[in-house]
Amino acid sequence: MKKIEAIIKPFKLDDVKNVLSKIGVQGMTITEVKGFGRQRGHTEVYRGAEYKIDFLPKIKIELITPDDMVPQIIENLERGAKTGKIGDGKIFLSPVEEIIRIRTGERGKDAI
Amino acid sequence: MQFDLGTTRDGLKDIKSRMAQGILAYPSPKEFLRNYSDMVDGLVRKAFQQAQSQVSTPSVCVIAIGGYGRAELAPCSDIDLLLLYPSSQKEQLPPLVEKVLYPLWDLGLDVSCSSRSISECLKMAQSDLHIKTSLIDGRYLDGEYDFFRKLYDLFSKKVLHRKVRKFGESLAKDLYLRRQKYEDPAYVLEPNIKEGEGGVRDFQIGRWIVRAKYKTDRWDSFLFPDHSRTLDKNLQFLWAVRNQLHLLSGRRQDDLTFEWQEKIAPILGFSPGARGIEDMMRQYHLSTQKISNFVDDVLERVLYEPSSFKKTFLFFQKKKIDPNFGLARGELTLLDPITFKREPAQLMTLFQYLQVSHGRMHFRTEEAVMEALPFMDDRLRSSEKVNQTFHSILRTGEGVAAILKKMHNLGFLSRYIPEFSEIEGKVHYDLYHVHPIDIHSLLAVEELEKLRMGVYQKDDLLLTSLIQELEKPEILLLTALLHDIGKGAEGDHSIIGAEMIRQIGSRMGLPKEDRDLMGFLVSHHLSMLETAFRRDLRDEQIILRFANEVKHLSLLKMLYLLTFADIKAVGPEAWTSWKNSLLMELFLKTSHFFERDGVTGPFLKGEEMIQKLKASLPPEIFSEVGDHLPERYLSSCSLGEIAHHIEMARSLEKTPLLVEWEAEKEVRAKVTICTKDLYGLFSKITGCMFLDRLNILEAQIHTWGNGVALDIFWVEDATKGLEDRLQQFQRDLGEVLSGAVALKSLFLQRREMNSIHQKVIPGVPAEVKVNDQDSDFHTIIEVTGEDRLGILYEITETLTDHGFDIQFARISTLGNRIVDVFYVQDKWGQKIEGQQKVEHLKQTLLRRLIA
Repeated sequence: MKKIEAIIKPFKLDDVKNVLSKIGVQGMTITEVKGFGRQRGHTEVYRGAEYKIDFLPKIKIELITPDDMVPQIIENLERGAKTGKIGDGKIFLSPVEEIIRIRTGERGKDAI
Repeated sequence: MQFDLGTTRDGLKDIKSRMAQGILAYPSPKEFLRNYSDMVDGLVRKAFQQAQSQVSTPSVCVIAIGGYGRAELAPCSDIDLLLLYPSSQKEQLPPLVEKVLYPLWDLGLDVSCSSRSISECLKMAQSDLHIKTSLIDGRYLDGEYDFFRKLYDLFSKKVLHRKVRKFGESLAKDLYLRRQKYEDPAYVLEPNIKEGEGGVRDFQIGRWIVRAKYKTDRWDSFLFPDHSRTLDKNLQFLWAVRNQLHLLSGRRQDDLTFEWQEKIAPILGFSPGARGIEDMMRQYHLSTQKISNFVDDVLERVLYEPSSFKKTFLFFQKKKIDPNFGLARGELTLLDPITFKREPAQLMTLFQYLQVSHGRMHFRTEEAVMEALPFMDDRLRSSEKVNQTFHSILRTGEGVAAILKKMHNLGFLSRYIPEFSEIEGKVHYDLYHVHPIDIHSLLAVEELEKLRMGVYQKDDLLLTSLIQELEKPEILLLTALLHDIGKGAEGDHSIIGAEMIRQIGSRMGLPKEDRDLMGFLVSHHLSMLETAFRRDLRDEQIILRFANEVKHLSLLKMLYLLTFADIKAVGPEAWTSWKNSLLMELFLKTSHFFERDGVTGPFLKGEEMIQKLKASLPPEIFSEVGDHLPERYLSSCSLGEIAHHIEMARSLEKTPLLVEWEAEKEVRAKVTICTKDLYGLFSKITGCMFLDRLNILEAQIHTWGNGVALDIFWVEDATKGLEDRLQQFQRDLGEVLSGAVALKSLFLQRREMNSIHQKVIPGVPAEVKVNDQDSDFHTIIEVTGEDRLGILYEITETLTDHGFDIQFARISTLGNRIVDVFYVQDKWGQKIEGQQKVEHLKQTLLRRLIA
């Protein structure tokens, strides 16, 4: 089992959700996050006053999947989230040791 | 020893389930409670009598207390008993208590029993609020009736009717603490019927106080019959829901969670599915609101009503503020109770006084308001005086939300704006919308008011300054109050609501411009949020389109404020700095656009052109390219030209490059180049032109959204070999673009040819300006200098070398002076960042201009 985390642009969420549900991804966790990478924050000016935007708004997606689904999910994630411009985000892949569904106590794949 | 109460655990279950099946046949839910309570009475009596026959018992008395005492026993509620005994017989009690309780417990009943002497009861009731309130509802069941009578004689004299105000204060505190606890939005969606705001407990508090103060069991004795009937219906509805909740869950379940809402709605006759649940919850919220108002009203009487001695005193202290109203100790009073019925317009005046005086309304006056509601008719709603008073309430800007809330609580608001009653108590069956729509709307007004007072200054400085500079805040407040007014009807609530608010505005006698403004805001109240969260704000087209939709900076400001209020009023977690950073970005970019370019010029021309194109092109071609044409392009070419360009672009699949020209007079030509955009394209074109000694007078370069580059040049050749040179240019460019030849090597080949000596004329100082402020999407580079053949190539090559992509350029030559403007982005489609990069570019450009 693997955990896939992706940081994407907020307006790409619908696209990503669509492509992922098409290939049968059942669930994911979405968080509104802020941060910066290569694409820095900036300062906006309105009527002479400066409004600093230090961190840019992004969406974090987290999902857990069996190993065999990983390539397909990542490919679709990339496709869904891409605009080709700076700030498109990143995808992280990491191993997951165990999953437990609290209600039933199921473990492993069954609990995804 | 066997106990026999004439039934068994299973037998009791059967009885219960038979009652449950027939529950809808009871004349009222309360009747069901009484019936169940009667049944339990029978069991308790039997248990008590058996116990007495088995133990040598002292004389005692069994009393039902709490909810059971009121004979309002919900199917799984606690059964509270009190055993009253003379103080001398304490030690003989435990065996008796056991013998009473065990058989009842065996039947699966939740019985608890306390045994006290009369004096203990009184002492504890004086110090413990809970014991006091549970005793209020005591009901004799069995045993020594004298004990019961004695207890209640003393209880009434010594406890219940003494220190009523203090009693009220303690209950008010209990109420306040519970409201605080259940204020959490989660409880609004999934309320607790017993403890939640306006729930069963609230109602009891009201009843206890009436009992304590007016010494009567008739809780509604001081209410108008109409009012008390509605209240009773509301209460019955809560009982109906609670009965089902207990029966279905089989336990003392008082949280009306989604799971149970779904099951109970159809049983109570609501239509199946989400609609029915929403309807049931609407009725639930309306009912609890009424009950909550009732208990507030009762508390008010106890806590604030002065003694009769003080009343006389106050009569002289009362300040008359006009012939109809008086003010005493911050309490607004109607002098003659008949006033409102005679002249309902005075109702609005009352609210205005309330706002100005920052005071409270005397409860008698509140009653008079409620009583006068039926007298509010269409004439009043369109009365100029009433409407003007309402607007001055909104305009005053202070305490508007509180006044509107009061109007709402007293039922005045939905009589004045009947459309509002359609959204009262209405809920969305989802997790996001916490409050019923009417409450949400009132909260939106409150949030705007808080914003204006500077409450959110720390986190939302921009919004704070926007609302403070607003010219007509009252229109925004009214719009916030009515922004979801369309939700009472089926269909798109923004569109329906916009129509409704226009009508309401016209009834209120608002000028057309205000009505249009409100209509616009309501119809667009979701646009800003949708654009900010679902669109790429780095895309200029998106901002342009949004700007065109909004049309004016003042509307944009109001829309931003309304969006803020709408989200903030959804629930405490809904408004985050994350959301605001997107909204703010959209606001700032759009406002920059209005301030710089104005939306009227190029954009409207562009829009117009799109419509024309749509009409003249075959639909499949239009749908293929229509969305990709940038505004600047649309506004700088004619319909015929664009149609022709589209044709050229469509043939790119066959030939990678199209060059066309029209010669004017032999020395000048307009050259149109169409190809797939690639990095450095402009520089390559100008390079080839330089190579073939075409002097560039003007250039427009356009990049379509679908990657087609469409560049138009006006060139000149003084040697009259224009046609040949253009032919040569086309060949050269084709080879360079296809990669067959490198531009650099062509330069080397023809170096000598190009070293033409040019005439020396008065010099023009070279200047490079880099502007980062005027566009949110591009860095603008303005280059001035002396014209010479190939200069444009030098400039564009420099830009390309520095990693800048030219998106748009305006090249013009005035005599021997060039003024070239380039809109550039970096490789990632962003504005150029970093002072160093900019400085470096400036220096290189200047060197090449002068060389």
